Amino acid sequence: MIDVTELIAESKLTGNYFAPQTYVRGDFESGLIENRQGSRLLAVPDTLLRGLYLGLNSELGSASGAVLYNCGCKWGKNFFRRFSEEVRSYYEKPLVELETIELIECLKQCWQAHGWGLLEANFDDYQQGFLTIRVTHSAFAGEIVDPQQPSCFLEAGLLSAFFSELSAVNLHCVQTECESLGASSNLFILGLAQRLKAAESMVAKGQTHTAIMQTLTANK
Amino acid sequence: MITEIESQIYSAEAEYLSSQDLGVLKTQILYLEERLKIYEQLRTQEAEIFQYAANQISKNFADESELKVKQALKHWLLILRYCGMAMLFNDSLYLQQQILSWLSAQIEARQTQDLEKHLYSYLHKRLKKVLGNEQFSILQPYLEQSKNALLK
Repeated sequence: MIDVTELIAESKLTGNYFAPQTYVRGDFESGLIENRQGSRLLAVPDTLLRGLYLGLNSELGSASGAVLYNCGCKWGKNFFRRFSEEVRSYYEKPLVELETIELIECLKQCWQAHGWGLLEANFDDYQQGFLTIRVTHSAFAGEIVDPQQPSCFLEAGLLSAFFSELSAVNLHCVQTECESLGASSNLFILGLAQRLKAAESMVAKGQTHTAIMQTLTANK
Repeated sequence: MITEIESQIYSAEAEYLSSQDLGVLKTQILYLEERLKIYEQLRTQEAEIFQYAANQISKNFADESELKVKQALKHWLLILRYCGMAMLFNDSLYLQQQILSWLSAQIEARQTQDLEKHLYSYLHKRLKKVLGNEQFSILQPYLEQSKNALLK
């Protein structure tokens, strides 16, 4: 028989750490926003993001994607560190001890609380070495730089670094669909760089996400 | 929070509240007093309410793993705490954002829905008995909201 008093005493009942109402705090007078642990948050206007994409493209041309991807990677490493510290401190256990579903829900809620969009993880091809991330209403889908190519390099870099740090394996990330090109959401495939080479050339040729996944999983 | 009182404060601006608005405010304050009593009762009788539900589960689902039953109990301990707060401040959005959107995928992934449907029915029965029909009816919309969001 379960003793409920004991169960309550021994369990730390925790809810949604990243619930937007409690996670983001602002002070109108000072114009500052911070998270619930008191760390400063930076609000990036859409116009600045668009300007960044266009400015980099004008300066660097096709290399701007690689620059943004690397910026995303660097940011992602720091983001992972902060994310894991906050989650560990609130749930009183390290990230590796969370159930996969808890971890993914934390990431989903965190993404949403920061205004980066609605994230969903798909593990259908996990056994084959691929993870698909779908982000709807992405904050990173800005100006169309190349009408044939997805443009969320910053987001791809961020995801690549986050999941690389999490799995302790260097994972690459390729965006296959983009809201800026009229898709209903952004789609990203994460996996080993060597195994994603085919995906990059297929994206350049304008192939669909489904076709790319079929090729990747058939090539195993 | 306490949306009706809040809207009264802002709609009054530089004027005194009309007799009709004042009546609405008085009603809300009385409701708040009532809700506070229910909240206190939930807080003090939490263990007893859940012990009943846990005993019923152990009796009727003897083969179910203890880990799964404990997990289901922890989900609903949490949900009832948030239901209590949402009821206190008359804020169903708070309930949705703070806990329901967080637990929905977890309950589905842990495949505890069937067990939790039964747990919910035992809790429903016990809460109705502990609180009485009138007080239970104030809490019920938040329980229903949780059931509809999590136990489809």
